[in-house]
Amino acid sequence: MASPTAEYSQAQRLLLGLSLPVLALIAWELCARFMTLPSYLIAPSAIAATTWDMALSGELWRHADASLARALAGFAIGAAGGVGMGLLAGIARPVEHFYEPIVSLTYPVPKIVVLPVLVAWLGAGDASKIAVIAAGVFYPTFINALYGAKAVDRLHVWSARNMGASVVQVFFKVVLPSALPQVLAGLRIAFALSLVVVVAAEMQSSRSGLGFLIITAEDNIRFDLMYAAIIAVALAGFGGDRLLVHLRRRLLVGQMVGREGEHG
Amino acid sequence: MDSAGARRILARWYPVALVLAAWELLSRSGAVSKRLMPSLADIGVALVDALQQGDLAFHAGISLGRALAGFALATVAGVLVGVAMARSRLLEALLEPVFSFTYPVPKIALYPIFIFVFGLGSLSKVMLVFLECLYPITINAYYGMRQVQQVHVWAARNMGASERQVFRRVLLPAAAPTIFAGLRIALPISLIVVIITEIIGESRGLGYYITYASASFEYATAFAGIAAVAAIGFVLDRLLVAVRNRLIFWQRGAAFIGA
Repeated sequence: MASPTAEYSQAQRLLLGLSLPVLALIAWELCARFMTLPSYLIAPSAIAATTWDMALSGELWRHADASLARALAGFAIGAAGGVGMGLLAGIARPVEHFYEPIVSLTYPVPKIVVLPVLVAWLGAGDASKIAVIAAGVFYPTFINALYGAKAVDRLHVWSARNMGASVVQVFFKVVLPSALPQVLAGLRIAFALSLVVVVAAEMQSSRSGLGFLIITAEDNIRFDLMYAAIIAVALAGFGGDRLLVHLRRRLLVGQMVGREGEHG
Repeated sequence: MDSAGARRILARWYPVALVLAAWELLSRSGAVSKRLMPSLADIGVALVDALQQGDLAFHAGISLGRALAGFALATVAGVLVGVAMARSRLLEALLEPVFSFTYPVPKIALYPIFIFVFGLGSLSKVMLVFLECLYPITINAYYGMRQVQQVHVWAARNMGASERQVFRRVLLPAAAPTIFAGLRIALPISLIVVIITEIIGESRGLGYYITYASASFEYATAFAGIAAVAAIGFVLDRLLVAVRNRLIFWQRGAAFIGA
């Protein structure tokens, strides 16, 4: 739906897109310098300075490393299971029939509820966090892989079979490439989810990680530290997402159907 | 129920029965400690107990209220902002980059700030639910409105429809399936965020209830709480799909899972 007003040029769009965040930052900085804001609203310049110092001292990296290791371990386990089972269910009816009722029953359930019990089972260390992340990641990757594999054009499968391709060849040369866009869409949702869960789990019980840093900084009323950790979480989320978009572009050369650089 | 119907139900739901049976076997075999993995019967007893004492309903009501309040706020604001972004080039240029750049950022990291701004009670949780749900709802409303075919708008105008009529009779119905897809993504998120915040630190709500029960080694009670969350999540999703199918009667069949 196009409105009748004129299009903006690329430069205008960039300028307009930056205007709100930049204005908000300037207003915040000015207010912090010349007025008394609540103690938790410290100046952006002070936040930037602390973030920079912590990045240089390596403290931020240490916690970011701990969080990312947990998130990626859970992501890898959950995604391997989700994509593998999803593709299998997409090509094999009995497998789909087996998973369908289980997944549809438990899909709308927030997987984080099992965290307290997992902590009891596996201890408060990394294992319980990785397990709950893997459980959360399984669902979006499974569902997207399933629909991706189900949407494969039958004609392509038949032609490949007709020309003598084995089942394994059909899977790797026909089903996987054509399901790939959907699989990657699932991975993108799952990655965002794995970060949310790791930060939440670290806020609840942990001795390292960005979520732990946020909570302890807050408890010690070190708001600059808290913001530095929040910025690190934001950068991890944004950076990982960009990486996946880049990966998608590299993998899907020649079949970019959607809008380039589409977010959301 | 005739035997054919029973067979069909069995054919569809046997995997769930299998999983439950495996659980029961594991629990009774003694391979896993019975306290860590209580049998279904024990969980059932704990569930009935908690329901009779009324505390499960109390905590569930609080969690549900928080989730739905944030979800409702996000629905109103998200649809308004999404529609406005699709209708105005200026608003689109101002807001779209902000939304797409902050979309992959875990908003839960802001929770401590929300506690300072909105207090330790329900408001900080409702606002975090609102923020998390705002994204999928806004972006889906925006894309839904953008996807409307220009031909339909022209056809309506050509037949003398006013701006208002075009909006209400063409744009809104055409965008409705996409808007509902956004709501269906946001609804489970609202529950997730409420439970997370209640697990992190609260003295009310199901997240607290489950954490407290497992910290007191009452795992059967914890599983009863988990069952309550599962039931709420499932029923809310079914309700939303039912509303969707009533409102969008011309396009049946939201997929049972996903979509």
